[in-house]
Amino acid sequence: MKGMIPVDQVPVGTKKNGTITKRLIRDKYLYSMLLPVIVFYIVFKYLPMGGEIIAFKDYRFADGLLGSKWAGLKHFELLFESADFWRVLRNTLLLNVYSLVFGFPVPIVLALLLNEVRREWYKRLVQNFLYVPHFISWVVLGGILVAMLSPSTGIVNLLLNKVFGIDPIYFMANSSWWPVMYTLSGIWREAGWGTILYLAAMAAIDTQLYEAAKIDGANKLRQIWHVTLPGIRSTIAILLILRMGSMMDVGLEQTLVLQNSSVLDVADVISTYVYRVGLQNMNYSYTTAIGLFQSIVGLILIISVNRVIKVSGERGLW
Amino acid sequence: MVAMNARTDKKRWLPQLGGAINALFLGLFSLATLYPFWYEAAASFSSSRAITSGEVMFWPVEFNIEAYKRLFEDGQLFISMKNTIWVTFVGTLLNIVLTILAAYPLSKKRLLGRSALLMFITFTMLFVSGLIPNFILVKYLGLMNSYWSLWLPALISTYNMFVMKTFMEGLPEEIEESAAIDGAGDWRILVQIIMPLCKPIVVALSLFYAVGWWNNYFQVMLYIGKSNKQTLMLKLYQMIRQVDQHLLNPAGGSEGVMQAMLTPEAIKAAAIVIAITPILCVYPFLQKHFVKGVLIGSVKG
Repeated sequence: MKGMIPVDQVPVGTKKNGTITKRLIRDKYLYSMLLPVIVFYIVFKYLPMGGEIIAFKDYRFADGLLGSKWAGLKHFELLFESADFWRVLRNTLLLNVYSLVFGFPVPIVLALLLNEVRREWYKRLVQNFLYVPHFISWVVLGGILVAMLSPSTGIVNLLLNKVFGIDPIYFMANSSWWPVMYTLSGIWREAGWGTILYLAAMAAIDTQLYEAAKIDGANKLRQIWHVTLPGIRSTIAILLILRMGSMMDVGLEQTLVLQNSSVLDVADVISTYVYRVGLQNMNYSYTTAIGLFQSIVGLILIISVNRVIKVSGERGLW
Repeated sequence: MVAMNARTDKKRWLPQLGGAINALFLGLFSLATLYPFWYEAAASFSSSRAITSGEVMFWPVEFNIEAYKRLFEDGQLFISMKNTIWVTFVGTLLNIVLTILAAYPLSKKRLLGRSALLMFITFTMLFVSGLIPNFILVKYLGLMNSYWSLWLPALISTYNMFVMKTFMEGLPEEIEESAAIDGAGDWRILVQIIMPLCKPIVVALSLFYAVGWWNNYFQVMLYIGKSNKQTLMLKLYQMIRQVDQHLLNPAGGSEGVMQAMLTPEAIKAAAIVIAITPILCVYPFLQKHFVKGVLIGSVKG
């Protein structure tokens, strides 16, 4: 659009040329809008980045940020030697792998099924139902899950017992069941919501392709395989790559609500560990070192992801 | 065409049967998604005895409103709900104002230093600083126990800001240019011309922000120690996590022990119902705008 306006018709006020001072003065009101924004980013985004230096100090509140003694790489050495670190790192990665392997395909399948529903009102109804959990706090979702899965009073165990005669299962307090419930709860909350981008991509597929496939005698399944799936391939690829970029993040709110002291061997992730050990035991420097490790790996991941996207010919994230 | 007509009836009803199975499956799936909420609602009107013995499945058993009565009498939950409404209202307002103030200038290609500013902002999405430095910052700024500890660090969601910027870049430039020729300043153009055009995206992003505020509990747990300032979700969290709470909440250790009495299931269920009712009331409106917001956001990628 912008390229279509001949340069000589662009009004004086919007020209991109002129001396630096003239342009600064011309746009002074725009800069005045940005002033609080820049202050916000400096104070609440960049200052904490500077605060990461306490990972290299023995930080104490009384001594302050600058007054605390330097500790070199001591905390990182402690970190890499501690069993805790490898445990929370493993858990962080494992929970991400579970969510990726089991959670990622669900919205795709749901979107494919929804796309085949011919009655528009029914499709919309199902969509509206599926989106609900996305808007509900993890506190509520976790509370409901814990109540329903309780071994003594939960409806799930009571039913299992009545119907199959199975002994109560400690779903939320058993180290093998907990990751399953974690993954399922994530699917419960986000699977429906995750269909939106796929459905939008499917809506953009040319209907003539389906007509052509029908004439060639392709049944529904073959139409899905040969028309719908290729049509959403790039959406799948982008979302998959983006998901890979956040392999170091585990939803803190979700994990905190679902975890309890008896499953910490599988449920303790970097963020909950930092919260518990850092803030409860005031091990500020040590846990900042873990946090810094997480941030740096996260940064490397996202940069690599962006490179992959750009190499594959799509528009990058930045 | 002849060949197609000649096909057996079997070929005709097979796709229809498939469609019916598909519809049935999706129906069951969506009911399964909603069942836990339904169960909680039924439980909240049942006796605690009926809940713990597993008699409640679809409808209240031994119907009563005792749980709601006790929550009303206690009043705590409603104080916290009032706090949540305040936090949500002011927080969302601040978010929207700041998001617009960032997005509008940055949507102007003519702005000197625009790409440097964009890089300055984008970097904060890539390198996310840890919990401890943020906690220490809030403490140093003296924001503890004030709602500013929630609002200030979350003034702008960079992702939402980029969604807004993308939307503004898509507005026709001619309108603005004619206003500029008429001598209107940037502030006036923003308020009188741009803002009305941005209504759909402002609504969508307000809802994004508001739901986030309504559901937030972690920052409240970190920064708001005073019991009478705590929000609905934190109260609910404490109610649900009462057993483990004194282990998990360093800030309110003594309180955790005090609350370690078990709350009856029916009261928990009633509190959950009260907490999600406002969201469900605005839900039809909410999800329409949310979907719009997601789709605008995805254009940029």
